[in-house]
Amino acid sequence: MINFNRRQTLGLMGAAVASGLAAPAIAQNKKAVVGALRFTSHAGSFVAVERNYFADAGLDVELRFFQAAQPMAVAIASGDVDYAVTAVSGGLISLADKGAIKVIGGALSEEPGIDGQKILASDAAFQAGLTSPAGLDGKKFGISTAGSSFHYMGSRVAQAEGAEMSFTPLQKVGSIIGALKTGQIDAWSIVPHIAKPLAGSGTVHIIGNISDYLPNYQVTTVFTSADNADTERDQTAAFLAGFGQGVSDYNSAMIDKSGGEDGVNEMVALIHKYVYTDRPLEKAAPSIINGTMRINEGSRLNIASVQDQLTWFQSEGLVDAGITLDTFVDTSYVETFEA
Amino acid sequence: MSDIGAKPEPIEVRFRGGGFAPKPHRWIGVIVFVVLIIVAEWGTRSGWISPLTLPRPSDVLATFGELWESGLLLKHLVPSLSRLAIGAAIGASFGIGVGILMGLFSYVRAGSVPLVAAIFPIPKIALLPLFVIWFGIDEASKYALIAFGTFTPTVVATYGAVDNVDRSLIRMGQSFDLSWFSIVRKIVVPGAMPGILSGLRISLSIAIILLVAAEMLGAEYGIGAYILEAGSLYDLERLFAGVVILSVLGVLLSMTIGLIERRVLRWRS
Repeated sequence: MINFNRRQTLGLMGAAVASGLAAPAIAQNKKAVVGALRFTSHAGSFVAVERNYFADAGLDVELRFFQAAQPMAVAIASGDVDYAVTAVSGGLISLADKGAIKVIGGALSEEPGIDGQKILASDAAFQAGLTSPAGLDGKKFGISTAGSSFHYMGSRVAQAEGAEMSFTPLQKVGSIIGALKTGQIDAWSIVPHIAKPLAGSGTVHIIGNISDYLPNYQVTTVFTSADNADTERDQTAAFLAGFGQGVSDYNSAMIDKSGGEDGVNEMVALIHKYVYTDRPLEKAAPSIINGTMRINEGSRLNIASVQDQLTWFQSEGLVDAGITLDTFVDTSYVETFEA
Repeated sequence: MSDIGAKPEPIEVRFRGGGFAPKPHRWIGVIVFVVLIIVAEWGTRSGWISPLTLPRPSDVLATFGELWESGLLLKHLVPSLSRLAIGAAIGASFGIGVGILMGLFSYVRAGSVPLVAAIFPIPKIALLPLFVIWFGIDEASKYALIAFGTFTPTVVATYGAVDNVDRSLIRMGQSFDLSWFSIVRKIVVPGAMPGILSGLRISLSIAIILLVAAEMLGAEYGIGAYILEAGSLYDLERLFAGVVILSVLGVLLSMTIGLIERRVLRWRS
């Protein structure tokens, strides 16, 4: 008879448990790292993690948080992160041109009728007559960096109004807010949950909506490394499936209010685990609700808007003129539309 | 056996001095640069280094050429150089002034040493938002940031240099009945000059480093702004072109200080 000592017994038990757990893992459970910023616009990933949609799709997802979109894009390029959501920027297009990343779907969109990004004016400029975007001629518009989404929005608004603006790069959102409050820049555009409290303080005024100028602006996109998009098709499709379910839950709870007030509260409580964690739920809830914007169902991608953004970046000489949409976007994963 | 009475052969004493004295080898530095660049060029051409890791040196050169031809080089260089010159001049002159006072007067020293020690380790970039409120987003905040960054290392170097002036020279001046002011002018300041100048080498390099930070806020043109823009666009060719300009600036500054040293410190030879 074989005698087991305690250690061997434990070892065997461990092995038995591990093999039991490992069985489905061999079938599918793949490890994937998803990059996120602590913004409401990343709610799709949060919901999918919390409600196990990624696990159901066969992915073992680890969320990794970043302070800004740019390092997240570089982390995807270096292979440290597999999937992420971020705004289309010159940096993203350049990385795609270098064969590092691919856009595979759409996320946040402007939609007429839903509160979207606001155009803001400083109090000084507002008092001097900048009460609508029509008065932007000769004004200073705050941007984080050249080639950012702020730069794109500002430039498109100015074009529509026939205005000549100068763009002031200030790197960080905090610095832009400071400069706007003290009247050192005249105008800026930003998501509603930042715009509304600012306007409430009286030092800044909302003078227009981005959606009036860029009605179906594809603000953020889902992207991954070119390697994942080309060779890990199953994993990528699984990610999009899980993410899509999360997005769908978020939209129905927050925008269509299918669950009524309780549904909204439940969703806010879920998101609060990731966003504004330094504030109590009661204080964070209004900011989370204010930040609600529709995320595209099924990660549908507005290809016309992406093309418009690419064209603009090229016309400004911010990215190489030879880049085609195919280099930047892999349309084989999700439904695309033109609006 | 006939050798016994003979005189021992004189042992030849080999000269064992020498060495430990660096000799100038002008071309070695250039060769190191050239080899590194050739390796990078060959690596990126053969695909052994991916375009994501390092730009091709010849592309960087081409970018530099475009920058020069489009006239943008001057457009970027002129504001940066003026920021550098004004900011560093303010910081260095205040630094040398305060440093000398600290070296000469015990009360100033007792009051300022802890203060300087407290502000030296503050990352000046962390104060950037505050500088915006104090000085605005225009040129003044950029001058202030660079001045503030060059001030502290200059103070420390100057005060140390004044402290290290040969006491016996000062005693000698006193026994020759020189006035206090004469001693400062003829003994203390010239004696402290080598230390002050080597301190300037450090603080002016810090000024170049801070140029990029200073141009983070509201600068449309400038080498720092150019580098930041290239970074956010992940345009490595432009990034490296900008970095090379900063390096060249550093080498030029170091050479200028070398010239000043040779002139001001002639009394040593």
